[in-house]
Amino acid sequence: MLQFFLAKFLRMSAVVLGATLIMFLLMHAIPGNPWSNYSESTRLLLRIEADEPVLNELTHRFGLDLPLWRQFTRYVFGDFNGNGTFFCGAICGNLGPSTAQRGRTVIDVLFAPPLGMTFWKSEFGYSLRLVLLGSIFTIGLGVPLGILSAIKPKSAVSRIISVAMAGLSAIPNFVLGLLAVIVAALWLRIIPVVPYWNNPYHWLIPAAVLAAMPTASVARVTRASLMNILTEDYVRTARAKGLVEVRVMLVHVLRNSLAPIITFLGPTLMEMFAGLVIIENLYGFPGIGREYFEAVLELDYPMIMGLTVFFSTGMIFTNFMVEIICAVLDPRVRSVKTKGLF
Amino acid sequence: MAFFPWKRFLRSKTAWFSLLVMLVFGLVAVLAPWLAPHDPTKWSFSQTNLPPMWVNDAAGAGVAEFPLGTDRVGRDILSRMIYGTRTSFILAFTAVPLAALIGTLLGLIAGFRGGRLDTLIVLLTDIFQSLPGIMFMVVLILIFRSILAPTWLAGLVTLVIGYAAVSWVSLARLVRINVLMIKSRLFVEAAAALGASRRYIITHHLLPNVLHVILAWIINNIPAIIILEAVLGYIGVGVTGATEGGEFNVVSWGGLFFAGRSAFSRNPLILILPSLSLMLVCVSFILFSDMINEITHQEQQ
Repeated sequence: MLQFFLAKFLRMSAVVLGATLIMFLLMHAIPGNPWSNYSESTRLLLRIEADEPVLNELTHRFGLDLPLWRQFTRYVFGDFNGNGTFFCGAICGNLGPSTAQRGRTVIDVLFAPPLGMTFWKSEFGYSLRLVLLGSIFTIGLGVPLGILSAIKPKSAVSRIISVAMAGLSAIPNFVLGLLAVIVAALWLRIIPVVPYWNNPYHWLIPAAVLAAMPTASVARVTRASLMNILTEDYVRTARAKGLVEVRVMLVHVLRNSLAPIITFLGPTLMEMFAGLVIIENLYGFPGIGREYFEAVLELDYPMIMGLTVFFSTGMIFTNFMVEIICAVLDPRVRSVKTKGLF
Repeated sequence: MAFFPWKRFLRSKTAWFSLLVMLVFGLVAVLAPWLAPHDPTKWSFSQTNLPPMWVNDAAGAGVAEFPLGTDRVGRDILSRMIYGTRTSFILAFTAVPLAALIGTLLGLIAGFRGGRLDTLIVLLTDIFQSLPGIMFMVVLILIFRSILAPTWLAGLVTLVIGYAAVSWVSLARLVRINVLMIKSRLFVEAAAALGASRRYIITHHLLPNVLHVILAWIINNIPAIIILEAVLGYIGVGVTGATEGGEFNVVSWGGLFFAGRSAFSRNPLILILPSLSLMLVCVSFILFSDMINEITHQEQQ
């Protein structure tokens, strides 16, 4: 057992390291440096009055004058700083200082709440709440709709559901977001145009827009998964021996079709963090998605790296959890999975 | 494909609807130079920000010369819509097959060879899956923008390469799992026992049996890239000539979204029309793939 988890852990570290390396190389391939990507007017506006020696000093302090591989090891494992003391890198949870937000570290920007508030008010807290709300929508709507359309595949209800889901997954989420604002804020006047994030009602529309595409795909996967199981022999047997339809559905069909649904749900819910980039830009939401986008445009290297590490760790961890849940649900998976560990 | 149930396919209304929509938009894409009333990239500073031709109010009156009005620099919206259709279709029919090719090759190698190579490829797919797709593409586009000339072709190449780099992963996984399943079946074992070469097994047993997975994946991913292009255009890092600067001069629906975003109160059609056409195309592709799935599923029973 210990060996299993150790192997898993090593593998997960390798994946996160690989993802970080790819992002590291790509972001350094973007021309410019954190201080060059402002135009002259922006510099004046932001009062960036740095001359050559100051820029050199900044470049040296953030380690940008080192060769690329040194920068990478410096970020991941750590390095000696100016006076010879060793500092630990990303493996100790030190994601480095942000270059765009002066005087703050990446961890500080992402996870520290404003003074005197709870964790939920930090940037990550905001995003997490939005994703959780979106997940509730996705699971609460997508799975039941999928089940409903699989039970009677030729009925009008099923037809309507599948067309609606196709429509939902065909709208780009920013169009849906604009539409939702126009309908809810201008016509129905349920919420104001500029949302006030302390009011929980104002969260509903961003969360619904975020959940739209995942809901549609989850419904389609649920339907396909159930349809596969419905034609199995043991379902026919269960019906033939006179079980109540509800019991057939819950015990025989749903339980057995759960594994593919969960396998799909895990990464889909995690992908919502990537989908946040659009939604947060659209609504001016103070979360990590907007931070990510701005970091790429401003070339805030440590911030891009930090968010990539965060995202890929989350993704890998989700996949791991999904694997475990599937093994718990379905004994058949367990015996197969243990053969090819690494 | 010989066993494909053509009769059932041709009797379904969904099939005809999807085919009709695809045909209409396909024709528009092919005939763009003859349909479009203006050059979509030509600026005319005397006629900027025109409303559609039927509008006539205090803010300005439309002219029949520009049926849907013009954007900020006086480019004709209708022509841009028509040429945008072309971009979308070219993207769909180059980027998705390219991604499919990469995914199929890697999945096939991983599933067939097994061993170390399999481990390596699976690790690679895990790594690519754990990167956030949108940001990955944004970064790729920012890189390509700096090294390629800002032409129409270079913009398309950027999108094609970016999309292929992001999306081959899911197909590679699918193909690998399917190849693993087929490899353990008796007929492959029999072929190997009879002395069939690896190449023969791959081309005659494995590929034909994973072909339907690949085709379904391609049809499913065509809407995905059309939407992705629109999203990238909307957040302003697309490959369109929406703003001044060293960007690719690609006329696309994404660029219209970008232009329509700031002109929404003045001329909402700039946003609504590409949304509607995008929805129509994507819905028809999605329904089409759903229906093919269903028909083949029913036929197997």
